[in-house]
Amino acid sequence: MKKKDSLTPFTLLMLLPGVGFIIFFIGSSIVLTILQSFGLFSIMGNSTLTLGYWKAILNSREALDSLLFSLKMGVLSSLGTVMVAFPLALFFRKSGQGKGMLGSLIKIPLFIPALVAAFLILNLISYHGLINTILMRLSIIKEPLRMLNDKFGWGVVMIQVWKNLPFVLLILMSAISSIRDDTIDAAKNLGAGYFSILFRIYIPLAMPGILVAMILMFIKAFGDFPITSVAGPVYPSSVAGRMQIMANLYQEWNQAAVLGVIIILTTFFVIWAYSRFAELVQGDN
Amino acid sequence: MANLTLSNLVKRFDDVVAVDHINLDVADGEFVTLLGPSGCGKTTTLRTIAGFYYPDEGEVLFGNTIMNNVPPNKRDTAMCFQSYALFPHMTVWDNISFGLKMRKVPVVEQKAKIERVMEMLSLKDLGNRKPGQLSGGQQQRVALARSIVTEPQVLLFDEPLSNLDAKLRVQVRVEIREMQKRLGITAIYVTHDQDEALAISDRIVIMSQGKIEQIGDPYTIYRHPKTRFVAGFIGMANIFDGVVLEKEGAVCTVQAPFGKVYIDTEGQEVPNKGDTIHFSWRPEDMKIRDRTSRNQISGNVVQAVFMGDITDLFIEVNGCRMRAQSDDEAKITAKDHLSFGISEKAFSILRG
Repeated sequence: MKKKDSLTPFTLLMLLPGVGFIIFFIGSSIVLTILQSFGLFSIMGNSTLTLGYWKAILNSREALDSLLFSLKMGVLSSLGTVMVAFPLALFFRKSGQGKGMLGSLIKIPLFIPALVAAFLILNLISYHGLINTILMRLSIIKEPLRMLNDKFGWGVVMIQVWKNLPFVLLILMSAISSIRDDTIDAAKNLGAGYFSILFRIYIPLAMPGILVAMILMFIKAFGDFPITSVAGPVYPSSVAGRMQIMANLYQEWNQAAVLGVIIILTTFFVIWAYSRFAELVQGDN
Repeated sequence: MANLTLSNLVKRFDDVVAVDHINLDVADGEFVTLLGPSGCGKTTTLRTIAGFYYPDEGEVLFGNTIMNNVPPNKRDTAMCFQSYALFPHMTVWDNISFGLKMRKVPVVEQKAKIERVMEMLSLKDLGNRKPGQLSGGQQQRVALARSIVTEPQVLLFDEPLSNLDAKLRVQVRVEIREMQKRLGITAIYVTHDQDEALAISDRIVIMSQGKIEQIGDPYTIYRHPKTRFVAGFIGMANIFDGVVLEKEGAVCTVQAPFGKVYIDTEGQEVPNKGDTIHFSWRPEDMKIRDRTSRNQISGNVVQAVFMGDITDLFIEVNGCRMRAQSDDEAKITAKDHLSFGISEKAFSILRG
């Protein structure tokens, strides 16, 4: 019988650079943030165990508005990106003319930092930007639309979709490419039209990929700082933006830590909800 | 149900002609098998009938209706795929009901139809399972149930048994045939397995390089192949060339490399004296120690392969290798010297 692999001191040593790095830097910073949110390990010196910082944040209108805004941006950005990327992923499933060039074009945002992306899109959607100018010239609108720094945050959603499209596309393409041609042909053969195939075959079968894409997108958009800073509304800021204000402007590092913990908890909750939902969707399959 | 006609059907993929001017009439309720080696165009023909490919030339007709540009979802065919192509996220019940839902059949009617088909194919207790929880044979039956439940005009099979083990293959092919007969649906079956084709079909269409080589019932195809390709492809055959020396009515005396043979050409194309012809006979037509025929051949056994019910023999006769079969109980081994008789009617004259 083959000897079972066991964790010898040597294997542990081999794992140390990777796993050790993750545990030390991520684990320690998470633990520290949590402790700081309760007043311990305070950067400012005085360390006392207290719930005061949590109370302060939970009673703060600004913090709550930031949280709601970030949740909204997370949900809308993830939905928006998946809705734009899914048809593209379907298109890329079949080989066609110009596919190669389009594929390369679409990957461009992947290599552009979020902040630069925000400034690029800014030129398009700003009050006197390209889109407004064109719409005005075509007499479609009488006065420019406020797409940038708009109260709702559409500008942020637009930039998030643009920036993350290639990333989400890659996930969805791999999910869709795993669907066999035969399965689609069988559906056609049994009388299914385009929409039936889309809603009964493609979407359910690609659902694990869609969920992963949505979760990752949500986490990215929820914890965003640069895009909301540039293109978001004047008020509220994102949770990350609020953290920066609390820490740098008010020197309230412990309250900033509370906001950090809220981001971490939301992320964990979303991942947990995903795994529950994925089980439901996939069942015994 | 309907009869199916392929008229001068051509399908090209870039420069490759996959289906080359095919003509075929399939009667209502008939079971026709397209048989040939990989790349002969049989699956392309099937997929053109299903509507997955549109023909470049010619016509596909269901009854009198030209189907050339009708999309697959409007064709009223049902296909059993080689991979089964079951919907992995749906239960057996949902898989079977899919076609009925697409046709907007009332729910009560759907239920009755699904239950009947599941009963027929012994799937009664599997309704809540997903395809991943079924064995290969069960998946095959679900695929079959899914295609017949809609009562299509034409049932199409694309090598549906190739993923099953040998025993199950025989069992399922019998089931397919019985069910098709019972329902009276026109069926086109694609396979490269000659035994399957012989066992299951009303008629067999032998294809090679996009063209039809021969159409006939299994007996005719096996006993009277018309071309060198068909003789070589279906079963084992001894194929030789020879010159016609004499003609006496339908019987020709032919000089072959291994000796003289007498060939009764009745019912076949009769060659002229002096023609060079190709001809074939089956290994089982070589009867050991049979003195009743004028065709007497004797040679040394080069190799004898015991197969259980028969022994496969490779014989060398005047420098020519030929195959024979023996169901003799006596053990035959290499280097034995044997004599055979071959009936004059056992030969087929081949084209090409």
